[in-house]
Amino acid sequence: MRTPSKPESNGKALAVAVLLATGAAASAFGLSLALRRASARTSHQLPTPEAWVLNEVSPTPETVAQGRKVFLASCAHCHGADATGDEGPDLHGVEVSDRYIANIITHGIKGEMPSFRKKLGPGDIHMVTAFIRSLEP
Amino acid sequence: MDSQVWAKLHGASVHFPIAMVLTSALLDLSGNLAPNPGLRVRMQAAGFWTMLVGALGTVPAVVSGLVMTRGVLLGHDQLRLHHLFAWPAFVLIVGTATWRVLALGRGERPLPVSYLGAAGLCAGLVMAAGYFGGELALAN
Repeated sequence: MRTPSKPESNGKALAVAVLLATGAAASAFGLSLALRRASARTSHQLPTPEAWVLNEVSPTPETVAQGRKVFLASCAHCHGADATGDEGPDLHGVEVSDRYIANIITHGIKGEMPSFRKKLGPGDIHMVTAFIRSLEP
Repeated sequence: MDSQVWAKLHGASVHFPIAMVLTSALLDLSGNLAPNPGLRVRMQAAGFWTMLVGALGTVPAVVSGLVMTRGVLLGHDQLRLHHLFAWPAFVLIVGTATWRVLALGRGERPLPVSYLGAAGLCAGLVMAAGYFGGELALAN
């Protein structure tokens, strides 16, 4: 049989418990951060060099509205209705070029995202791009 | 490994800590109410070990969940609700189990009400997290 613990040892144990619980939370946060970084790399979300030099679509209210309709019909299932990500990544503040976005939509990403070549034409892709550009980071 | 494998691993690993933590809270509370000191000691010894292995079981559950969602801490809709209960449950279970192991023992004396409250809160949080996790699993 153990001897009953004294109040001061209970206080120390509580302090260690709080420390360990904080460590557990910090570890989970660190793992989450590492996984999100790895996911961003595999999901092609990192800035691409051509984004600095190519002209981007300038969203107008009309193209954004049309693009949102296309987005809700074709993309929201994976990226979420508000494009903040679900199965697919968050699309707010993407730093890739329009050409890159069109390429991803057209060809997809092996094992991650299907090709929309047959479903979306250049006009649709242009409008979806305008919608994506309108999303604040 | 693809996310489907991690989803299955998450499903396989979460039930163990849920069951252990709920059982531990129930055993400890029943032990404190038991009229016979011998029975109390035995029940709270079981409560000690179930809380300890339950806390250890939260680690694979959390890791598989994080890998499955690629590091999402909150998410949206049902996933957010699941996480709003799962994260406090994880932290509280680790803290409560540590407190139990270091200071409160295996039933040599009745457990303080504060510990029973913490264990009850762990059980409530883990049940709520499990409920919304189940809703997610059914939706997908």
